Amino acid sequence: MIELVDLTKKFKQIYAVKNLSMFIERGEIVGLLGPNGAGKSTAISILSSLVEPSGGDVRFENKSILKHPAPFRKVVGMVPQNIALYSDLTAEENLLFFGRIYRLRGKELERKVDEVLEQIGLTDRRRDVVKKFSGGMQRRLNIGVAMLHDPELLIMDEPTVGIDPQSRNYILETVKRLNEERKMTVLYTSHYMEEVEFLCDRIYIMDKGNLIASGTKDEIKQILSSEKTISITMERLNEEFLDSLKENPLVNRVTIGEKEVTILVPRDINIFSEIIKLAESTGIELNSVDNKTPTLEDVFLHLTGRALRD
Amino acid sequence: MIGILLAKLKSFIRNPWTFLIFTFMSMFFAFIFGGTSVEKAYVPIHAVNENIKDSFIGQQLKEQEGFHFSWMTEGDLREKIETGKAEIGVVLQENDYSIIVGVNSFNTDLVQQIISGIYQEKIEREQILLAFEQGASDESNILTEMDQAMEKPIFKIESASFRGEGAFVYDNSLHRIFGFSLFFVIYTIAYNVLPILIEKREGIWDRMILSPLKKSEMYIANLLYSFITGYLQVLVIFLMFRYVVGVDFHDRFFETLLLLIPYVFSIVALTMLITAIVKNVRQFNAVLPIIAVSMAMIGGAYWPIEIVESKLLLILAKFNPLTYGMEVLNGVAVYSYPLEELLFPISVLVLMGVTMIGLGIHLMERRHI
Repeated sequence: MIELVDLTKKFKQIYAVKNLSMFIERGEIVGLLGPNGAGKSTAISILSSLVEPSGGDVRFENKSILKHPAPFRKVVGMVPQNIALYSDLTAEENLLFFGRIYRLRGKELERKVDEVLEQIGLTDRRRDVVKKFSGGMQRRLNIGVAMLHDPELLIMDEPTVGIDPQSRNYILETVKRLNEERKMTVLYTSHYMEEVEFLCDRIYIMDKGNLIASGTKDEIKQILSSEKTISITMERLNEEFLDSLKENPLVNRVTIGEKEVTILVPRDINIFSEIIKLAESTGIELNSVDNKTPTLEDVFLHLTGRALRD
Repeated sequence: MIGILLAKLKSFIRNPWTFLIFTFMSMFFAFIFGGTSVEKAYVPIHAVNENIKDSFIGQQLKEQEGFHFSWMTEGDLREKIETGKAEIGVVLQENDYSIIVGVNSFNTDLVQQIISGIYQEKIEREQILLAFEQGASDESNILTEMDQAMEKPIFKIESASFRGEGAFVYDNSLHRIFGFSLFFVIYTIAYNVLPILIEKREGIWDRMILSPLKKSEMYIANLLYSFITGYLQVLVIFLMFRYVVGVDFHDRFFETLLLLIPYVFSIVALTMLITAIVKNVRQFNAVLPIIAVSMAMIGGAYWPIEIVESKLLLILAKFNPLTYGMEVLNGVAVYSYPLEELLFPISVLVLMGVTMIGLGIHLMERRHI
C-alpha cells in the first residue's frame, strides 16, 4: 500500500531521517518505535505528505505522493502528537467542523459524528467544551476527528502520551477494534514498547534518524536469540559489585537502574551461581535474580546501548 | 472557508476577552487623554481694560473653536501658568497683546496666530470706519452691512494649506481617538492572527492540509476573520465616541470608517509577517509590544507627527503603516480632504499590506509542500 524509499530529511547539517526504507501492507498495524528525537515524527510527517523530504520518495499504490499528494490525502487520517482541536468548541462542534472540511454535509455528517462519538466513548460528553475534558478524553477526540472520513490508513503519532492507564487501554482497544472490524491500516508510532507489542504485526525501530531493526515481533526478538537478559534486584547498589559485573568476560552489557541491574549474557551460560558469589564477596544483599524473556526494550538496549525512554 | 469562519466565530463568542479588553482600553485612553469633556485647549486670558471683553476682540475670541479662552485677573493667569494648569496665557491691551509662555508647545504659535489675526481684523474695521466717517451717520450700521455682505461674497474663495510646510490643524479629541484606536487594534488583530501559529504547531493546520480544503481558503478565512475583528473593534470605538460621547467627526464619519479599511488590512498583513517570523508564542508576545509601541510613537498615535523634528524618526515613520493610517484619518476627518488627496497614503498602506502578506505567507509555507 505505502512504500518509503530511501527517505532522508536533513535540517541544516543534521539528519532527522537518514535513508529510511519501509513498507506498510493493507490491513496491518505497523509500529514505528524509537526514543524521543529518533525521527519518528519527521518520518510520518513526510509519509503523510506534510513535509518535503531532502531525498527519497514515498509511494502510495506505486505512485509518488510527493508529486501527487491528493489521492493519498483522501484516504489518510492523521492523529497528531499534540491535541489538534479547537479547545473553545465542544466535542460535537469539533467533529462537525472537521467533518465539514472533509465535505461531509447534512444527515451524513450527523450520522458520522454520532458514530465517531460512540466509537470513542464520548457520546455523553458531546456538548462539553474540549478544554474541560481530561487529557485522556481529549486524546480520544483527537483520534475521533481523524476517523470522520473513514480513512483507509490511520497514522497515529504517539497518541497516548501523557494520559492515564485507563484512557490508554481504551485507545489501544479502539485501535485494535478499528483494525479488526474495518480492516483499517494503522501506522502507530510510540516510545512505549508494551503498546507496540500489544498492537502491531510488524515493527520498525528507529534511533537517531536511522532504521536499526525491522520485522515481526518474533523476528526482532530473534536478534537476542544468542543472548538472555538477567535482572538482578537488591536493597542498594554497590560500586564494587557493579565493577565486577562489568569486568566479567561473560557479561555482554550492564544496565544500571535505581535498585536493579540488568545484564545481557550468552544464552547457554549459567551465571546465577557466579552472581550469588559476587554478591557475597562484595557484601550485597540480593532480593532477586530473574531470567527474563527478551522484550523489545531489551532489543533496543542491545542495539543502541540505551533504554528507550532515556 | 465558511466552516473556519463559523468555528472562529463560536470561539470568539465563548472567549471574547481579548477583543473586549483592547476595545475598552482604546476607549479609556482616548477618553482620558483626548479630554473629550474639555474639547478645546484651555487658555487663560486677561484684559487690561474691561471694555475689551465686550468689544470685537472679545466676541472673536468667544467664537474660536479650537481654544477655550477663560477671562481672569492677571494674577490668576500667572498662577495658572506657574502651577502648570495652563501652557500659555494672553494679556490683552487696546491695540496690543502679550503672550505669557509656560510651556512652549505647538499651541503657542496657534494662539499667537489667532490673536494677531483678530487684532489685524480690528484695525481693518477701524480703517473702514475712518474711510466712511464723513458720510456715515451710524457706525454700527456700516459694520453690520459689511458683515452681511461678507457672508454672501461675490466670489467664493477657498483656502487650503499645503501639507509638509509646518502648518497643521490639531483636533485633540479626534487625534487621541484615532491614535489609541489604531494602536490598540494592532493587539486585537495580532492576537487573532496568532492562532495560525498555534494551530500550525498543534497540528490543526496539518489536518486541514490533508483535507480537501484549499490552503488559500485556510489563509483567507483566518485573515478575513482577523480583519473583521479588528475593523469591528475600531467601528465600536468610533461609534461610541461619535454617538455616545458626541465627538465631532466634522461630518466625515462614514468616510472615516471607509478609509479605515486599508489600515486594518495593512495591520493584518504586518501581524501575519510577525507570526511567520517568530518561532513560538513566547517570542510573539515579546516582539509584539515592542513593535506596536514603537509604531505608535513613531507614527504619531500619541502626539502629532508634525511636531517630531528628528530626521531619523521621520524617515522611520515612512515605513510605518500607522503613520499613513493617521494621515488618512486626520486627512478625512480633520482636514476634510477629498479622496484624491488621500490616494497616496491609501496606496502606501495597500502596497505595504500586499507585500507583507505575501512575504508572511511565503515564510509560513516554507515548511510545507
